[in-house]
Amino acid sequence: MSQSAEPMLLDHNYDGIQEYDNPTPGWWWMLFHATVVFSIVYFLFFQFSPDSWTLKDAYNASVVVDLRKQFAEIGELKADEATIVKYSTDKKWLEVGRNTFATNCVSCHGRDGEGVVGPNMTDDAYKNVKTITDIATVITNGAANGAMPAWKNRLHPNEVVLTASYIASLRGKNLPSARPVEGDVIPPWPKGN
Amino acid sequence: MSLTSTVAVSKDRVSTESAPQAARMETFVYDDAIVRMFMWMTIVWVVVGTLAGLLVAIELALPEAGLGIPYIAFGRLRPLHTNAAIFAFAGNAIFTGIYYSLQRLCKARMFSDLLSRLHFWGWQLIIVAAALTLPTGHTSGKEYAELEWPIDIAIALVWVVFAVNVFGTIAVRRERHMYVAIWFYIATLVTVAMLHIFNSLALPAGALKSYSVYAGAQDAFMQWWYGHNAVAFFLTTPFLGLMYYFMPKAAERPVFSYRLSIIHFWSLVFMYIWAGPHHLHYTACPEWASTLGMLFSVMLWMPSWGGGINGLMTLRGAWHKVSYDPVLKFFVVGVTFYMMSTFEGPMMSVKSVNALSHYTDWTIAHVHGGALGWNGFISFGMIYWLAPRLFQTKLYSQKLANMHFWLGLVGILVYVVSMWTAGITQGLMWRGIDENGRLMWPDFIETVAHLIPYYWIRALGGALFIAGIVVMVYNMVRTWQTRPAKYEEPVYEAPPLMAARAVEALPPSRIRTPVVNIAHKYDRFAQAAWHRRWERLPLVFSVWVAVAVVVASLFEILPTFLIRSNVPTIASVTPYTPLELAGRDIYIAEGCYNCHSQMIRPLIAETKRFGEYSKPGESVYDHPFQWGSRRIGPDLAREGGRQSHLWHLLHFKNPREVNPKSVMPAYSWLLKETLDFGSIEAHVRVMKKLGVPYDKEIGQAEQLARAQAAEIARQIVEQGGEPGYDDKKVTALIAYLQRLGTDLYKTPPTPGEPSAPPATTQPVAMGNK
Repeated sequence: MSQSAEPMLLDHNYDGIQEYDNPTPGWWWMLFHATVVFSIVYFLFFQFSPDSWTLKDAYNASVVVDLRKQFAEIGELKADEATIVKYSTDKKWLEVGRNTFATNCVSCHGRDGEGVVGPNMTDDAYKNVKTITDIATVITNGAANGAMPAWKNRLHPNEVVLTASYIASLRGKNLPSARPVEGDVIPPWPKGN
Repeated sequence: MSLTSTVAVSKDRVSTESAPQAARMETFVYDDAIVRMFMWMTIVWVVVGTLAGLLVAIELALPEAGLGIPYIAFGRLRPLHTNAAIFAFAGNAIFTGIYYSLQRLCKARMFSDLLSRLHFWGWQLIIVAAALTLPTGHTSGKEYAELEWPIDIAIALVWVVFAVNVFGTIAVRRERHMYVAIWFYIATLVTVAMLHIFNSLALPAGALKSYSVYAGAQDAFMQWWYGHNAVAFFLTTPFLGLMYYFMPKAAERPVFSYRLSIIHFWSLVFMYIWAGPHHLHYTACPEWASTLGMLFSVMLWMPSWGGGINGLMTLRGAWHKVSYDPVLKFFVVGVTFYMMSTFEGPMMSVKSVNALSHYTDWTIAHVHGGALGWNGFISFGMIYWLAPRLFQTKLYSQKLANMHFWLGLVGILVYVVSMWTAGITQGLMWRGIDENGRLMWPDFIETVAHLIPYYWIRALGGALFIAGIVVMVYNMVRTWQTRPAKYEEPVYEAPPLMAARAVEALPPSRIRTPVVNIAHKYDRFAQAAWHRRWERLPLVFSVWVAVAVVVASLFEILPTFLIRSNVPTIASVTPYTPLELAGRDIYIAEGCYNCHSQMIRPLIAETKRFGEYSKPGESVYDHPFQWGSRRIGPDLAREGGRQSHLWHLLHFKNPREVNPKSVMPAYSWLLKETLDFGSIEAHVRVMKKLGVPYDKEIGQAEQLARAQAAEIARQIVEQGGEPGYDDKKVTALIAYLQRLGTDLYKTPPTPGEPSAPPATTQPVAMGNK
């Protein structure tokens, strides 16, 4: 379409406002049509194609990938003494425990386990723990009338074990704490092989 | 195309007024007093709204800035800020522009001076009512629709007064055709009424308390159908109408393209309605709706830009004026921000982009680009253009107007850039997962603490914007002081409209090359003579607008409510106990939803941080839903059992005692104020009317609530806390928080795999029994 130098004025006049009869810009039309075509194709594909996927499908796939990233090497861990002791000195896997701790535990137990609302875990006194496996039990089921929540629905079993290992590893740091010494001093953790 | 044929087809074929009886003239005077009233209130409310905004912005950077005063705590003040900015400032700006332009475009005084005054005073009283009820915690808990039911009814009534006044004026007009600005005014009038009424449907549960008739996913759907279209039909269409009047007036140039205005008007009106569910990507809202929301948003890009093009291209031949005329400066930047926001909006509605931007400050950047840049600058430009005309004098200072422009522009840029940075930064921190599949920022507070510098920069940007407004206030007062002792009231004259006898003739085809007949037919259609006919038939025009918005709405609303599989019920999800319900009321009253979402999305970084993603069946008893739209604090959808009662108690008393970097206000009053146990029974009964299956609770809601509160208070003591919280508000709120997200696990899920589907039973439709 040829553009004349001065576009045509329509004989519209509203309170002095006039209107040109300019055509709509070509690029505007093209982009508008492109978005419409894209939308139709997108909708048909995601609603009706057997090759499409839902957001939930994508999520489930990412869960599998994530578990593999995290735990492919170690498989499913058992919350027994040997396992918790073993990982309490394993730098790499302690990181997983530290990470889980940082996500869920620091609001009560402090950034480094020094204790805020929940007890200090860097000294030798423990409230609900007599043996190293008790740590995993307390994480799983909670303790102290709900003061310590149960995490069994929220954490992967491996995360429970590795968090227990991480907490066990905090012992002996004796960080300064806002909390008094709570519970009883218990025997040291068993030694790993 | 030949020049002559263009002239021929563009000739208006209705030729009734040109008849000899045109000698009979009518005289009339415009009502500019009402325009002055609305303009002053626009100026008052923009000061109030932006100052409230500055205070909430500072409270995020410095939580102590709330001084522990309940009335200005973030959760209560933020709705006041948004309501003041949208309904008080933008609302009055719209009314200013409409009352001025409509009379002139119709060559008629407003239909009724009484209705004009009723509209003015009614609207200001509504704003005052909002300013009194929101800080005192009376809210329906739905964003941008927080006002409680008596005020909602008042809004509907005042809107009807406004509509009668506008349509009355159109009915007695002396201009045959309605200019494009009026089309946009009509779209605003019709659609805002529909949105407001259907989203606000609620059952009263007290003088200033009600529960939405919708629950959970359906309430979320209705809320964002409303919320998004409040942006569309309160902040976009009326301002486009203002642009179409004031831009060509100020530039003294014709509008760029009449045809473009037709196309972009109808595509906007039809498509905007569908886009709401883009606020609900990755949530428990059905995925087909979210897909439609995204696609219609993408398709809205060009219709939105159509308005922008028509605005900016109208300046062709007048660009030199922009350099010295502050009015045009404001308009040019305003329209530019409109185009930027309407590109950003479709981009953010793409699901994968939204996965990053949702719940972050990116959204805050987006809305402020629109609100400050588009609504603000169009309003300011309009005010500077109107002031000399309304006060019948010269503007006191062009220099100060230019200063306002630069302060405002720099303010917006500082604001928007800091919030973009904050939003994208936090979004990336939330999703950061290292090569071993672990969250890189596992402690939520770290992602908040990281933003504090940006919050200060944002507050600075806001302060600059407000400084510009203060300059405007001074300029306006000085201009007003030089007004004449008595305003002139010029008398205009125009012939009355005669009944239109002629029907628009079908224009000849412009195609000169030989083509099949259908091409000629299409070309005649494309010349839009049919639309020219609608423009002189306001009723027909309004009906088509209504058809467009109603049909578009029903396409999404009907399936949402009727298809049973949209919300599969979960057998283990049961109604809140009476105490938890009371706690939920406190959660809503304090505006917790302004900072905390209750909607975990199916994204790996999110389920790692907060737990299993939220299911639609989990919020079936949530009248209203509380999914939230921003995560200043962590998501609370699975908060139940995450912390001890005692932790919550200490945290409410002073969040920084347990979490030094927290930006949450201290809620010490919740530990002191007594819960009104007596009102719980009535609330439970209203819930039952709404379909929540209460049974044994009816008649003994208060005893049940007291018993549960005593038990929680006892556990607080056991956990090492102080006694005496049996009857305090905080106990109810703790009860509610400890319930959140726990029902999913009440019947044992498949052991081991946390992402295994929960015990889901057959789908049942809810809400519309």
